[in-house]
Amino acid sequence: MTRLTDLPPAQAKRLAELECPDFTTRPWVTGSALSQRRVAIVSSAGLVVRGEDPFRGRDADYRVIPSTTRPEELLISHISINFDRTGFQEDWNVVFPLDRLQELAAEGAIGSVAQTHYSFMGATDPVQMEPHAREVAGLLKGDQVDAVILPPV
Amino acid sequence: MSALGHYLEEEGLATVAISLIRPQTENTKPPRALWVPFELGRPFGPPSAAAFQKRVVLAALRMLERGNGPVAIEDFADDDPRATQDPAWRPPLTPMTVAAGPADALAARLEAEVGQLRGAHERWEAQHRRTTVGLSGLPIGDCARYVADWLRGKTPPSPREGFSAPLILRFAVDDVKAYYLEAAAAGAAKPSSRQLGDWFWNESATGAAIHVLREVLQGSDDDRLKLIVANFMVPATRVRSAG
Repeated sequence: MTRLTDLPPAQAKRLAELECPDFTTRPWVTGSALSQRRVAIVSSAGLVVRGEDPFRGRDADYRVIPSTTRPEELLISHISINFDRTGFQEDWNVVFPLDRLQELAAEGAIGSVAQTHYSFMGATDPVQMEPHAREVAGLLKGDQVDAVILPPV
Repeated sequence: MSALGHYLEEEGLATVAISLIRPQTENTKPPRALWVPFELGRPFGPPSAAAFQKRVVLAALRMLERGNGPVAIEDFADDDPRATQDPAWRPPLTPMTVAAGPADALAARLEAEVGQLRGAHERWEAQHRRTTVGLSGLPIGDCARYVADWLRGKTPPSPREGFSAPLILRFAVDDVKAYYLEAAAAGAAKPSSRQLGDWFWNESATGAAIHVLREVLQGSDDDRLKLIVANFMVPATRVRSAG
């Protein structure tokens, strides 16, 4: 297994001190109770539906993952090889918890699950990612999403 | 990634990130984040553990109902129960007796070994009804041949439009690794990722071949190829020291 403390010190330091734009705003959106929310996954694991183009290096755009995607159709094309993939191989919910969201919706803990989910490749320069992220925000709002869970890998 | 949360939240969407690296999250300050103590690659914890995963998802989503921001980081207390080794697990192949050798011999061993794993991989697919092999777009035998040909000193052209040969090499290596790790995990035992990685990198001919390939191709004149083989074929924790 690989945790931050397992990595060579230089690499661990790079990850821990990853640069992020110096944002001038601190946005904070509130909303209704969780049982009323429509939830989407926006992953930064470089996920791609089989047959579509994997992320090439540090591509800043995104891939679309419909809620109808089956576990056998989802691949990881993240540029980094320094994280475990065996958990995802056994069970996609380790990275992309769509089954868990569907169960929570069926139980009434959340309102519903988005029709479409998205993935970026997390090692990309955030500045280059920004226009694509704002485009995804528009698509999510078009799907009446009002809660987003952001898993890394 | 924290920047994603910032952009989406600025657009009016409430977000909560899962954090695997707490110092990074403290540095980048997303609107909300749940730090989890799991290994990299497992943001929702152990595989085949629906109840545990659901607790992680709910712990994160519940943060959306609290007004303690902006910038709220909470910790998930429980560790991954699947992080420990399973003494009942056995590797699918007899360990190789030669850890290294001439590149041509290793290339042949790699191709033969992939063939030997077919039965174990078929058992994996029957058990889990999926495979994560597929990034290169090549059948596994062709993946093995593609990687082996690089090891033999050839520079096979990319079989896929829009993807350079070095990038296909990386994807083919990813596919071969996925094939091995899936085949090795077939059956009732629940090996940890470390057990599987130790076996692949230390005991399989293909693990040895990828180490050698990385070392050989770093002598290339192609800067893109050198970058890919140096950083994106052998995990940092598995790179052998020079000499």
